[in-house]
Amino acid sequence: MKVADAIVIQGLKKVFKGALGDRVAAVDDLSIQVSQGEIFGFIGPNGAGKTTTIKILLGLLFPTSGKLQVLGAPAGDNETKRRISYLPESPYFYEHMSGYEVLDFYCKLFRLGKPARKKKINELLERVGLASDGKRALRQYSKGMLQRIGIAQSLINDPDLLILDEPTSGLDPIAHKDIQDLIISLKQQGKTVFVSSHQLTDIERVCDRVAIINRGKLVKLGSMEELLHIGRIIVTLTGADDAVLAAVKAVSEECVMDGNMLRVYVRSEDAVLKVLEAAKGKATLVSVVPQRQTLEDLFVEIVREARK
Amino acid sequence: MIIWSIAKTTVGDALRKKVVQIFLVVAIGLIVISLSFSQNLAFSAKEGSSVDLYLLKGFGLGLMALAGGLISLVMGVSLIPQEIERRTIYTILSKPVQRYEFIVGKFLGAILTLAICMALMGTVFMGVIAAKAYAANASQVMPAVTAAGGLESTAAQVTKVQLFDVNSLMGVVNVFMQFVLLTSVVMLFSVFFTPTINFFLGLGVYVIGLMASLTETLAWHDPDTSPTILQAFYTVVHAVIPNFDKFNQMNSLLHPEMAVTNMPLYTFQTSLYGLIYALIAMTVAVIIFEQKEV
Ligand SMILES: Nc1ncnc2c1ncn2[C@@H]1O[C@H](COP(=O)(O)OP(=O)(O)OP(=O)(O)O)[C@@H](O)[C@H]1O
Ligand SMILES: [Mg+2]
Repeated sequence: MKVADAIVIQGLKKVFKGALGDRVAAVDDLSIQVSQGEIFGFIGPNGAGKTTTIKILLGLLFPTSGKLQVLGAPAGDNETKRRISYLPESPYFYEHMSGYEVLDFYCKLFRLGKPARKKKINELLERVGLASDGKRALRQYSKGMLQRIGIAQSLINDPDLLILDEPTSGLDPIAHKDIQDLIISLKQQGKTVFVSSHQLTDIERVCDRVAIINRGKLVKLGSMEELLHIGRIIVTLTGADDAVLAAVKAVSEECVMDGNMLRVYVRSEDAVLKVLEAAKGKATLVSVVPQRQTLEDLFVEIVREARK
Repeated sequence: MIIWSIAKTTVGDALRKKVVQIFLVVAIGLIVISLSFSQNLAFSAKEGSSVDLYLLKGFGLGLMALAGGLISLVMGVSLIPQEIERRTIYTILSKPVQRYEFIVGKFLGAILTLAICMALMGTVFMGVIAAKAYAANASQVMPAVTAAGGLESTAAQVTKVQLFDVNSLMGVVNVFMQFVLLTSVVMLFSVFFTPTINFFLGLGVYVIGLMASLTETLAWHDPDTSPTILQAFYTVVHAVIPNFDKFNQMNSLLHPEMAVTNMPLYTFQTSLYGLIYALIAMTVAVIIFEQKEV
């Protein structure tokens, strides 16, 4: 474990005991390492174990087995919590308080003095677009407004590591964009962000790396480039014989025969030309297109595969 | 600062609970209505002021105990489970807040809420007693003056009732202290039990605690023989369940046989008992809560 790792999870397992004595492994042998300064996406279908993992990272739940480190300290360490922030999924706050009061309360938990609190809260309300709603009781807030308060409270301590559980849920498209921009600006400040979301377009835009989990198990982990094969080009041919196949295999990353269609995946324009050279006169060119797989395509494919 | 912030937030939240407000308003209303009790205390005044207005005082203290008990039960059982259910605990415990600070803050908040309720009811109660005493004094002096004609000779015979009754105030303190204790017990239970189960459990403990003299009798056995299983059971019950009866000794409606001679001292002792018990309950609650998943 390097000190530069913001999060280290090794062989994490979490078993919940049901009321009838049944046991559910919500997280099973999960290992993930997140470097400092990285924007890390944590995705998976409903009930995959994302929230469970996040709660374990914060010391709210305890692991059944496995090792964890958060900013070089054990999960839940009180001093380390000064440098961490957490946005729970669908956050909920004391309804009787106003937006201002509830942020004031959270500021006090960081032992901020009165002038510092005042300055901070006004700044945060401004930042999440609630400057004119600060005096209203949270009871009157909409779902998205509560989510914004949640985001504001996660920025109080200028954290080094932000753990965000579905930060964009319930937000309108403009707010989505704001959150994306916020995460990108956090990255520029050298912060680490660990974000779980079902909004795969958001994840795709902001994350450096992603882990896909299903039923508590890690099914895919990699950088966005690796996972989405960004930069790959697909050359599709028909009527290719074995000789052509052998020739293009040598210059391509991957070849897939689909009926009489041959799809050749290559990395460079140079390789495209080589494929065309090999096929010249022996097969017919159908198309040359850059591969455009979205995270959503990949996600659906991987999860369907895992469920089989 | 953290504990205090959590406590203040808890008070704000608790005082906005409809049930708490209703219990409080009804209790205060009934205490005011007790003004209409037509007990003439001029006769009993000679026996010393502690027996004066015993009906009024007993009724008022009993009402405060009922309201206080219900408020502390309703509040105490949900204090922690509600934080978990509403998920407000996540954002708090993920800040640099120790779990014990959270529990202590919540408990302190509950005690403050209870203190505010008791202060409101107690003020009205003391006011009602003062008003009654004033009325009694007035009616007592009148006939004395007209009958005897000379002021000097009768003044010595008139026993004035104190407007401010220290013993009644001590009664209010006792009512308060027993619910500090009860709150700590249900808060400890709330680490394991759901609010509904906990409500009845807490009520059960309170009722058994009120019958402390009964459990003591049941537990008694001849020192020369070994106790029966039942006696051993009641010995444990009597030892573990807090003695809530201690706090009601001054209520002459409940304990006509009792005569506490030094109320302030007695109150000091019961308060100490309540605080020590609460301290133990809270320590256990903290130890268990440290291991609890939220
Ligand atoms: N306290 C609990 N007791 C028992 N089982 C639980 C508990 N919390 C979660 N689980 C189970 O653990 C599994 C993972 O749940 P988790 O909340 O981590 O999923 P998730 O990936 O966050 O899903 P979602 O996308 O719906 O938020 C689910 O099967 C859930 O039923
Ligand atoms: Mg979740």
